[in-house]
Amino acid sequence: MRPITIALTKGRLAKKTLDLFERVGITADGTKVEDSRKLIFKNEELGLQFFLAKGPDVPTYVYYGAADIGIVGRDTIMEERLKLYEVLDLGYGKCRMCVCGPESARKYLESGDQIRVATKYPNIAKDYFLNRKHQTVEIIKLNGSIELAPIVGLSEVIVDIVETGATLRENGLDVLEEVCPLSARMVVNQVSMKMENERISEIIRLLKAELAREAAEKAAARR
Amino acid sequence: MNTRVIHTPEGVRDIYGSECREKRRLMAAIRDVFERYGCEEIETPAIEYFDVFSSDIGTTASRELFKFFDRDGNTLVLRPDFTPSVARAVSMHMPEEAMPVRLSYEGSTFRNNAEYQYQGRLKEATQMGVEFIGDGSAEADAEVIALTCEMLLASGLKEFQVSVGEVDFFKALVEGTGLTDESVEEIRKLISNKNFFGVEELLDGEDLDPTTKAALIRLPQLFGGGEVLDEAAAFSDQGRTDAAIARLRRINELLAARGLDKYVSYDFGLLSKYRYYTGIIFSAFTYGVGEPVAKGGRYDNLLGNFGRDYPAVGMGLYLDQLMNALSRQGIRQG
Repeated sequence: MRPITIALTKGRLAKKTLDLFERVGITADGTKVEDSRKLIFKNEELGLQFFLAKGPDVPTYVYYGAADIGIVGRDTIMEERLKLYEVLDLGYGKCRMCVCGPESARKYLESGDQIRVATKYPNIAKDYFLNRKHQTVEIIKLNGSIELAPIVGLSEVIVDIVETGATLRENGLDVLEEVCPLSARMVVNQVSMKMENERISEIIRLLKAELAREAAEKAAARR
Repeated sequence: MNTRVIHTPEGVRDIYGSECREKRRLMAAIRDVFERYGCEEIETPAIEYFDVFSSDIGTTASRELFKFFDRDGNTLVLRPDFTPSVARAVSMHMPEEAMPVRLSYEGSTFRNNAEYQYQGRLKEATQMGVEFIGDGSAEADAEVIALTCEMLLASGLKEFQVSVGEVDFFKALVEGTGLTDESVEEIRKLISNKNFFGVEELLDGEDLDPTTKAALIRLPQLFGGGEVLDEAAAFSDQGRTDAAIARLRRINELLAARGLDKYVSYDFGLLSKYRYYTGIIFSAFTYGVGEPVAKGGRYDNLLGNFGRDYPAVGMGLYLDQLMNALSRQGIRQG
């Protein structure tokens, strides 16, 4: 049997995903070992294997078919723009893609003037400003600590992921506009979806049922 | 100082040696299959007027076309695919009495895409394909799908799936719902990405008939063997969607009779951004490449753009993708 390969985004997302898989009875050797140096975790019996990759690489692994399934944030899917099936909203890793800056920068967003936008997500930022706001902008691609850009005068605003907003506030920045909500998604390679339809559909069905059950439980607890 | 240029521009490449030999052998094998199905070869020019590929006809985004001008200032393009060219040529040269015809073509197609860095998406790519013109029957649909299967078998592929959908099923569902063109396009994208929760979210605020809503949400998951035809029937409450299902059933029977049904599955969420498709639509998938190796479908209104009212169905093979798949699966020609 050809193994089904699942690419996970390194870090918190991977941990949450492995927990979810465990709750539906899918485990893999070695995933429990903290700080393991192993790259691939197998479950020979179910014909499954997991590996960890950097977020932006997950859609690439899946697009090329090196992984059949990927677990990755919606931000990465939107930014990488590869043709993939996006089959499941896992509901965790919730945050928002936002335009942020000092309160004084709000006027630039209303005026339609050309402004500079620093971001790790040039495609998302370009799409938002050009196609949705119809504002001409200069996109400046950065690789980290995006909050720094408006502080040191590299850009007027930034487009970045906001979870709690604590980092922003600490640096005197605010959310000025929301681009879209984000959460972890399951993506599937187009070819795998056709060639391994039954096995992949079964995994989706199991996870979906578990997510629905947990959501119902939560709703009941609230009541 | 003059630097001698010996490398190619980005997105195009030289093919030589054993790769070139393999490519030629593969093309010969595929040409044999086309011939067995009674196809006549046709050549159309690589340069066409822009209008042949304009957005009314709905093939390639204008920015992805290589455009230039002739001496009179007309806009010309390098063909991005063959179907509109062949439709134009047929409208020009073939009268009603000549119908039906089966044509085959091969040659380079050109796309000025930015994604050259992704696998297999070169700016110049070889396509081979067929167009069955003047025959609107389900039998013609089944013939083209059968030809696609036999072509892939002749190439040496053993594991592949031809996924067949019906764009009219989707078109009939969204028609009369009062959804804007933008929403329909958004839903089309979400459905073809199998993003049913996105469809659900988008339709949440819309005032739609509950059966239609349920069908649109279900569409991305409506794929698999012949049994999905029965499932789709449950969502069908009008003549046009019934007709779409009846047609797929007939195609399924015809393919089963030839023993090709094991290579074929059905997918109601298979939709194309090419707006010229009117009926069945299909994509052939195999291991080793991220995208379909061949695509096709029925386009009954395309020839209308050139003044002829001929129904038509066709298939185009992305030869470079097929070669990638063959080499990654360790299959050699001849």
